[in-house]
Amino acid sequence: MMSATPSAATSDRTDAARMTASSPPLAAPLKTPRDLGWIGVPVVAVAGLAAFWLFPSDLGLLTRILAAALYVLSLDLVLGYCGIATLGQAAMFGTGAYVAGIAAVNWVADPLALLAIGGVAGGLIALATGALILHARGLTLLMLTVAVTQIVQEVANKARDWTGGSDGLSGIDPNPVFGAFRFDMVGRTSYLFALAVLVVALLVARRIVRSPFGLACRGVKEDPLRVSALGGSPKAYLVAMYAVAGVFAGVAGALTAVTSGIVGLDSASFSWSAEALVMLVLGGTGRLYGAVIGTVAFMAVHHILAATDPFHWMLFIGLFLMGVVLFLPGGILSGFERLAGLLRRKGDKA
Amino acid sequence: MSALLEVEGLSKNFGGLQVSSDITMSLHPGDRCALIGPNGAGKTTFVNLVTGVIPPTAGTIRLAGQDVTKLSSAERVRRGLIRSFQVARLFKSMTVREHLELAVLQRDAKTFRLFASVSGTPGLADEVAGLLDTMGLGAVAATPVGSLAYGQQRLLEIALALAMKPKVLILDEPAAGVPHSESQRILDAIDRLPKDLAVLMIEHDMDLVFRFARTIVVLAQGRLLCSGTAKEIVADPRVREVYLGSRAHAH
Amino acid sequence: METLFGIAVDGVAYGMILFIISVGLSVTLGLMRVVNLAHGAFAMVGGYVASYAAQSLGLPYPAALVVAVALTVLATLPLEKLLYRRIYGHANELGQVLLTIGLTFVIVATVNYLFGPTLKRIPLPDLLLGTVSLGPKAIPTHRAFVIGMGAVTLLGLWWLLERTDFGIRLRAAVDDPAMAAALGIRTERLYMATFALGTGLAALGGVLGAELLPLEPYYAIRYIVLFLAVVAVGGAGSIFGSAAAALALGITDTAGKYLIPNFGEFFFYAALILILFRWPHGFFKGRTA
Repeated sequence: MMSATPSAATSDRTDAARMTASSPPLAAPLKTPRDLGWIGVPVVAVAGLAAFWLFPSDLGLLTRILAAALYVLSLDLVLGYCGIATLGQAAMFGTGAYVAGIAAVNWVADPLALLAIGGVAGGLIALATGALILHARGLTLLMLTVAVTQIVQEVANKARDWTGGSDGLSGIDPNPVFGAFRFDMVGRTSYLFALAVLVVALLVARRIVRSPFGLACRGVKEDPLRVSALGGSPKAYLVAMYAVAGVFAGVAGALTAVTSGIVGLDSASFSWSAEALVMLVLGGTGRLYGAVIGTVAFMAVHHILAATDPFHWMLFIGLFLMGVVLFLPGGILSGFERLAGLLRRKGDKA
Repeated sequence: MSALLEVEGLSKNFGGLQVSSDITMSLHPGDRCALIGPNGAGKTTFVNLVTGVIPPTAGTIRLAGQDVTKLSSAERVRRGLIRSFQVARLFKSMTVREHLELAVLQRDAKTFRLFASVSGTPGLADEVAGLLDTMGLGAVAATPVGSLAYGQQRLLEIALALAMKPKVLILDEPAAGVPHSESQRILDAIDRLPKDLAVLMIEHDMDLVFRFARTIVVLAQGRLLCSGTAKEIVADPRVREVYLGSRAHAH
Repeated sequence: METLFGIAVDGVAYGMILFIISVGLSVTLGLMRVVNLAHGAFAMVGGYVASYAAQSLGLPYPAALVVAVALTVLATLPLEKLLYRRIYGHANELGQVLLTIGLTFVIVATVNYLFGPTLKRIPLPDLLLGTVSLGPKAIPTHRAFVIGMGAVTLLGLWWLLERTDFGIRLRAAVDDPAMAAALGIRTERLYMATFALGTGLAALGGVLGAELLPLEPYYAIRYIVLFLAVVAVGGAGSIFGSAAAALALGITDTAGKYLIPNFGEFFFYAALILILFRWPHGFFKGRTA
């Protein structure tokens, strides 16, 4: 009789511990939103323009990198600011890419309208699936996100009349941007267009993570039960942020479709989801710019190594991943931060 | 005056165990009530029942006259039934200021504003500054809670509860884990709570209880043993027997 | 009728392979709470070792099978000590996912370097090549062998967990790790033994299933989603759950391929979402250890 209450209290507490524990420690704890303050956006813009002058013959690759950075940024909103570990971000990217691509082939030619269409599509699929699956945690949630991606891919594969199935969707030929800037053969317009979209997206994302909503999401990431004790609904925040990230991913998919002119089945694949996770963690979660840095590093090295032999690339990235998890759990950016800290301390001594 | 919180015939069974049975009590505006009882008396279960963390087997809970027995705990919070936690449950990496901002924004249902800025929310900075001031936390406003002293975390717990503008405030061992010398600061903070608020404190430390409470409710073995003023409780032989008996047993 | 019989035999055989491989993942997930995405890579390593032993060294099939399982276990045990031990516990899913993806990539690259990108076979002995008659029907001997091995694995695991000292400790540690440690169960050795059991089963499944899940370097990535699906539906740590989920999955998938070749996978994942939506801890969770 006497033991009944303590045992009830204990189970309450372990429950709480489990909920708290579900936020992955790898997503480094945020002291304040570490998004490099206001300086980050101009830095990305200037670096992007510098790359435009420095590598005029690689603009195709660079454009893919920018679109991928936007995609990885969407994952950072989910993982870095809400603590949702997902292997299904490609479902939103792929949906955005296909819907925008189909719209481009059949009805719409304005590139900005296509981005909006992709964003809406990505947001809607994230909202619908998020409401269905985000009650789950851990392995179950990982599996559910994988399953959603596989379904999107399977639908794209089977709806051949619309999507081209395994041949891919081609024939996307958008009008000039603002009616003035034609998409040229070298890819100058594509690159600058993608850079502009990424910069705007970074500004919007930065705004969101600093909003009351962003604050609430950080609360959910740390302790969902405490958020409900404040009167909030953790799942509502998770679903909302998942949908917001879905919009970003959908825009990224549409951007890829518009700038490359094709959409393939791999845009909604398990491995594209996993690669997003890898790129984000390489750069560092919960920082926004980590997504950009991780994507640039990953895709640049991939381009160099995979050109000779894809397996060299796998060996490299595999070892690198293991190293990051074991020795640098905050990603590349945290490595720089630590290095900077060390140097500063040395400087203080000297 | 009408009661803010009315609990009637509240019971809870876990399997075959009756951990709360037929508890009836009420809190009025301005009440300062302490809930005491030996270990295992069912105090935590009672708090969990009232706040809606676990559903009762029988009984009703009314908040400001409205039946809330079937409502979720978040819904009860929104109606002004607020608790603080026995073990400080805070967001370790967020600063003290961010905690209070979140609590106020949540209370005002402004947390789904995606494109507003926290610092630009009208009135927020002033209200948070006022709360920081009341609890004496102004100096650590920008400190992440993870690196705060334990006593300050407890003060923040109370500040958070206060930020939510409660009608009824349940303090679950607000001074647990705080050195005795510092518990006065916590009591001072509790003294500054709005006068029309009904406060129920769950506490072990009898010294604290006598300093805080105008009325005391005693739980034993999941039942309400008796209630009354501090003097009446001290004089009650049943309390002495249950309390001292089980104390002696526990040690 | 013929089709139905074919579906049943192929489906059950396929399901048994999925079971043998996935149950190892399920047990390690249940005990160590580690989402091991490299589990498929371990199965693949088993298959490659057997293939090499049989084709290049000329070992007979049973010997190649034993060598493959033993070598895979020996090769992966250091990984347990060096890598996995750092990421046990359910608080670190993201780290687990990344570390084991990294390990998978390294294994894929290494296997490709050692054995090349082409499909590898494990030649079956004559004994397994024909058919066995079952009343009026005949089923391929290899399928019958796989089904039998699956049943033996199921019974063996049941015996191991229900009837042996190791099993009692294992179940105690799964139910309540803190209590097990307090009772003096040496979790470190228990974890190591369980990890060895898990990789051994993966290798066994990799060898037995080489006809159904063909051996090539991307095997490790291609099938891991399937194995994880079995565990998620069956419930982590549940042997009979894994068996039921694997058989259901094997039969559904095979039936889908026979009957509605266009949408098999779609139905499979839709069913997975519905099951996990309703039973987030797995359909069969809690029936047995």
